[in-house]
Amino acid sequence: MSIVRIENVSKRYRLGEQEVAALRGVSVSIEQGEFVAIAGPSGSGKTTLLNMIGCIDTPTGGRVVVDGQDVTGRSPDQLADLRARTLGFIFQTFNLLPVLSAEENVEYPLVNIQHLPREERRRRVAYFLDMVGLTRFAKHRPNQLSGGQRQRVAIARALATRPKIVLADEPTANLDHQSGEGILQLMKEINHHSGTTFIFSTHDARVIAMADRVVRVSDGEVVGEESNR
Amino acid sequence: MLKFAFRNLSRHKGRTALTLAAIAFGVVSLVLSAGFVDDIFVQLRENTVQSGLGHAQIAKEGYFKFSARQPYAYMIDKPEAVIAQVKRLPQVKEAMSRLNVNGTLNNGKAELPVRGEGVEPDKERFVGGFISLIEGRHLNADDVYAAELGEGLARSLGIKPGSRVTLLTSTPQGAVNTVELQVVGVFRSFSIEYDARAMRMPLAAAQAALNTHAVHTVVVALNDTSETDAAINVMRATFSGQPLVVKSWEELADFYRKAVDLYRAQFGVLQLIILVMVALSVSNSVNISIFERTGEVGTLLALGNRRREVFRLLVLESAVSGVLGGLIGVVLGIVLAFLISAVGIPMPPPPNSSQGYLAAVRVVPEQVAIAMSIGLVATIVASLLPASRVTRLPVVEALRRAM
Repeated sequence: MSIVRIENVSKRYRLGEQEVAALRGVSVSIEQGEFVAIAGPSGSGKTTLLNMIGCIDTPTGGRVVVDGQDVTGRSPDQLADLRARTLGFIFQTFNLLPVLSAEENVEYPLVNIQHLPREERRRRVAYFLDMVGLTRFAKHRPNQLSGGQRQRVAIARALATRPKIVLADEPTANLDHQSGEGILQLMKEINHHSGTTFIFSTHDARVIAMADRVVRVSDGEVVGEESNR
Repeated sequence: MLKFAFRNLSRHKGRTALTLAAIAFGVVSLVLSAGFVDDIFVQLRENTVQSGLGHAQIAKEGYFKFSARQPYAYMIDKPEAVIAQVKRLPQVKEAMSRLNVNGTLNNGKAELPVRGEGVEPDKERFVGGFISLIEGRHLNADDVYAAELGEGLARSLGIKPGSRVTLLTSTPQGAVNTVELQVVGVFRSFSIEYDARAMRMPLAAAQAALNTHAVHTVVVALNDTSETDAAINVMRATFSGQPLVVKSWEELADFYRKAVDLYRAQFGVLQLIILVMVALSVSNSVNISIFERTGEVGTLLALGNRRREVFRLLVLESAVSGVLGGLIGVVLGIVLAFLISAVGIPMPPPPNSSQGYLAAVRVVPEQVAIAMSIGLVATIVASLLPASRVTRLPVVEALRRAM
């Protein structure tokens, strides 16, 4: 069964007097363990599509099913719980909490999970910081880290809750090529290693080349799919 | 969560400092304005008591109502007994007799009507702190046929200390009597009107002028004005069997309550204005510090925090800054109050008086507590609306503002 199913989803919003269609009847389904790139130029609707999957935006029409649950019409709290349990986010601008150290940032989503013992939390933080190669920087605060390091912290944070799906919106857009490639390599390794589904948006050809599967979006519609496997 | 809230405050130094400053400034304004108003009331109260009124006066029943028509019909014949009883009370510092003498004062060339008062000079200082000497000296316990004149009276008659004057009176029995007095000093009280007609002389001289041993009133000075009510009750109980009345300074000073009511209304309006300004500046800085973090709120929501949790976090942060800012404000306010009091605020003479005074800022514990709670409550209330608005934004919308 697909872990994500997008059925005929559309999204319209008003921009001043005009009504803009960000998505026009998009249908996609993504299997567990896939490493998928949603590719397209800016304004194509790829970020909106990613937000639909991430349950941080609601469709105007159609159905979004995440991990077997139809999320259309759910309350904000139910969606928050779903995000906390099943989804991990990696942002283009990293969005680390500036007042917390690297390890505290990784720990933060774990604090919200009830019945998770302190030792288990510590163990996971250490494990994922090690996985992204930042054990040495555990006590550093985000503004003391480079862009690539910040995005690694963000990856560790996204993984800490052991989500089924990790969503990354242009994860490499604010990084130089070398760090960007490193980040993507890391994501891919984790994907192979643990089977976590990765879905990311990008317009960078080099990043697209690393994806197992590419969904091409343009003008709010899916215009093509290709597999690199 | 509390730890996270503290972190957010302690690691965003600039923003936190701004909010704390706004809160502390507000609390300081409240502490100082309340302390200043309170000082004015205390000064007014003490002035009233010290204007010669004393904390309480005891007189024959009917004296306060009818003495203007029949000045010598209502007198205390044995003041010593009354004084002895009064002085047994622990709250009482001193008790003294007074005798009013109305007559005319003659300097050899001209004469003027005068309101004389026979007093016990050594005891009067407990209730006459605001009568100040301009020329010569005050009466003392050894004087007998001596007098102290109000400034206006002395000027009208062209009298200097050392001059001799004659007081012409009619005694209770209806006879005309004169006593010769030596002027020892000229005084100024709070009231210009009073000074234009007033004369003070030793009780013995006044009694001689009126050919009597009785007195009009026994004036009671207490250790502290706040003990007035308790002392009055005890005195009323003590003299319940006798034809005597006990009146408190508040009952005697008719203007006092009116003045307090007027002041309270005026200051109330000013304090309300201060309160509104405090509330506005606090809510403004709380607003800014919450909206600045819209992007962060979006991140927290995306990470799976519920709206209510983020809302609670924001309000908790405000509450913490409210407590901190309030404490800073209280400390600063108290320090400032002491500094200002040490210097004093020069005040112009109140209506109907000729002397200005130095106002201070009092630290009143209840007012300080109220100021602190207002600061805290204002901060929390101010955070409710922006916190609720920010956490109700669609997550995507909030995230977009992170950039």
